[in-house]
This record gives sequence, structure tokens and C-alpha cells, in this order.
Amino acid sequence: MNAFAIAGSSFVREHLRTPLTLLLLIAIPALFVLASAAVLGDFARALGGTVAGQAATALGAGWAAAFLAGVLGFFQVASSREADRRLSLAGLGPTRVAAARISAALVLGLVVSAAAFLSLLLRTGVEHPAHAAVAIFAFAAIYIGIGAIVGSLVSDPLEGSILVAFVFMFDVFSGPAMTSGGGLTAVMPTRKAADLLIAAGAGQSSPLGDWFWVALIAAISMSVAFTSFWAASRSRGGP
Amino acid sequence: MSGRTAIATRMGFREQLRRPFLLALLVVVPLFFITRSIAITEPTPRAVPLPGGEIAFTDMKEIHGAVMAAITVAFLAGLIGVFVMQSALEGDRRLVVAGFRPRETIAARLGVVLAATLVVLSVSLAVTAFDFTPASWLPFAAATLCVGLIYAALGALAGALVGRLAATYLMLFVPMVDIGVAQNPMFGDANPDLWAKLLPGYGPMRVLVDGAFSQTFDATSELVLGLGWLAGLATITVLVLRRAIGVRSG
Repeated sequence: MNAFAIAGSSFVREHLRTPLTLLLLIAIPALFVLASAAVLGDFARALGGTVAGQAATALGAGWAAAFLAGVLGFFQVASSREADRRLSLAGLGPTRVAAARISAALVLGLVVSAAAFLSLLLRTGVEHPAHAAVAIFAFAAIYIGIGAIVGSLVSDPLEGSILVAFVFMFDVFSGPAMTSGGGLTAVMPTRKAADLLIAAGAGQSSPLGDWFWVALIAAISMSVAFTSFWAASRSRGGP
Repeated sequence: MSGRTAIATRMGFREQLRRPFLLALLVVVPLFFITRSIAITEPTPRAVPLPGGEIAFTDMKEIHGAVMAAITVAFLAGLIGVFVMQSALEGDRRLVVAGFRPRETIAARLGVVLAATLVVLSVSLAVTAFDFTPASWLPFAAATLCVGLIYAALGALAGALVGRLAATYLMLFVPMVDIGVAQNPMFGDANPDLWAKLLPGYGPMRVLVDGAFSQTFDATSELVLGLGWLAGLATITVLVLRRAIGVRSG
């Protein structure tokens, strides 16, 4: 096994070293989907939005994956700076450390997305399961990037957690079909992923343009995350 | 307060004041969320059953105004509880080795958590007052404080028992489900379901709804229930912390 694979699997193990963390990564998306299934439609109506029924439940699965992935991305950067710098200095180099971190974050994002997706399937079913699965994973990938940006700007865990939660809540309140629209809705990073998820939940196909935008935003998010991991593991010089 | 408790408290506050961005977040987050939530909610008519059996005829905008302060205070206080206690676990054991009594360091940390919760509470209530006026301020404010302290204690417990990452996940998720969904009169028939009554937010949130929409106080049993949760969680938190930072001889 090469050094990159060893580092990547070690980062996953580091994150899951307490069994409770793995349990939470599976249980929270499931419980979030169950809890939000009954209320997201009501909530959207209260805000003047139109999302309802299966589409609302599907959106809840995306949000569940997003907020866990955001916190995950933040802690991957903020709590491992020192260790990553040493790994980098010891010969792995910042590029391979960053690639291993991204891989670990994506594996964990996949776990969270799978839990959210399976809960959605079991709770209400979904007309386009493949579309929904991709859209949920896109939510997770985008939020790994957001968490990593926060982690590269803020090292304090309390400040970082609040900031990730702030972005998440802002996104929820500005999401498509959640409000009567306008303003910031158009520029939120998960907007197109939410459009895909709502369409999948409602049994409709999405235009090719939406898929392109989701892929582009997820790729930008991954690039930003990679840069954050790379910068965090880079040696600052000195003895 | 003994001299050592005063020193530990002063150091605890100094540690927080070294993070001006945190103070900014504790002001900006409630300001933004509460104002925006109320602003984007439609004034759709809604009937809300109150603890005394009365029905309040109001609208969604008013209800959102009533509950947003508690939601914001719960999740911020929970996260503060997690990280103040994480800091205590890292540093206070050394203070105990150096001669401090565990109760002195615990009192100092709880003082910091209480002060931070009061900051968030004050900002949240002040922001709420611009858009929503409860029928009775005292029970409304007291219930919001009770929600905040319950979640601060839960955050502290989670921080001491399950580690930083798992505690953060829990403190983002549990307040959202308990205060934001289960106890929220915006959803369902506006009455908490049976399972919601088992959660810590039930008592104080019923007091809050009573204070928000009724000029008479009819939520005595719910208030007692909320205070019971708070006393129980505070006691468990102190015991767990005492055990965690206490030094065994040998």
C-alpha cells in the first residue's frame, strides 16, 4: 500500500476512532430525514415556498448530508494542522497530504450521504433514486468545501462550528422553493443541487444544464477544499 | 466566592475575550437569524393551543418571532457548553494538580458558560423585540433562558463525555430537532406530540408559548418540568466534570 493510501485510510480511522462518531454519522441523517419529513413542507409554506411532499423530504436528506459534511470538512482542516505539517515535512508532501485528506473527507461524506439516501428511500421512496443519490452526495461535497474554507480561515473550534452552522442555516432559509424567492436564493452554492433533489423527489427529470452546474460547483468546492488542506499542511519555513 | 474561584473565573473570561470573533458571532448570528426568519415568514393565520387550554389566534410570522430566539439560544448555548468544557478538560486538571479544588474550577467554568448564555439571550431578546412583542415578557424571557441553560448543560455534558466532534454533531442536531421541530407550534396541529414531551425542551417551550400569546400564566407544571430538567442536567454536569478533572492520588 502506498503512502497516500495509508495516510487516507488513517485519516478516516482518526475521524472514526470513537464508535459513537460513526454511529452519529449514520443515525443523524436518518433521524433528520424522519424528523424533517413531517415538517419541511409546512415550513416551506410558512416562508411562502412551494416545496411539499416527497420533494420536501428529499430536500431534508440533502440538508442532513450538508451540515454533517460541513462540520466534517471544518474539523479535517482545523484540528489536524500540526499533524499534517509534520506528515508533509516527513516526506509525504503537502499535495499528497491534501489529496489524502480530500479522499478521507469524501469517503466520510459518502457514508453520510448513503445514510441520508437510504433513510429517504425507506421513509417515502423517491421516483428517481439515482438522481437523488447524486444530488445528496453533491450537497455533501459542496459542504466539505465550505467547511474546509471555514477551517482555513478560523482555527478555533467554537468559532468555526458556529460559522459552519451560520452558513448552513443561511442556505436553508434561502433555498429554492423554501421561500417566496428572490434575493440571495440565486447565488447560494447548493441551489442547483437542491433543484435536482426537489425534481428527483417529485418524479421529474432535470435539465442537462442543472447537472452541469452541480458538477461545476462541486468541482470548485473540491478545489477550494484541496487548496485549504494543502495550505494547512504546508511548512511555514523555520528550523 | 473564594480567591481561587475568582482567579479561575477571571482567567476563564480572559480566555473567551481573547477571541473577539467569537463575541462578534454571538451578536451577529442571533441578529441575522431572528431578523431574517421573521422577515421572510408569511402572516398565514394559525391557531395555537396554550398550556391552560386556551386557544391563541395568531399567525405564522408571530409564531416564528416567538420561537426563533429560543432556537438560536439553544444551539449557541449548546456549542458554548461543548467547547468551554473541552477547554476545562484540557486545562483545569493542571489547576487541580496545582492546588485548586475541583469545585473552584468547575464554578469558574460554569460562570463563563452562564455569562455567554446571558449574552446570547440578551441579544436574542433585544432583536426579537423589534419584530415581535410577547403578551407577557417575564415568562417568555425566563423560558428562553431556561432553554439556553438546559442546552448549555447538555453541551457541557456532551463535551465531557463523547469528545469534541461527536459533541458538535449532537449540539447542532438535537436543538434543531427538539426546539426547532418537536416543540415548534408552526408544525402539525401546533401541539407537541407524545414523543416531544419526553425531550428537555418541552417544559420551557410550553412556558414560552404561554408567555408569547397569553397575558395570564397557566404553565406552572411545565415550568416545574423545565426547572427539573435544568436542575438534573446541571447536577449531572457538575458530577461528571468533578470526576473528569479530579486528581486521584497515587
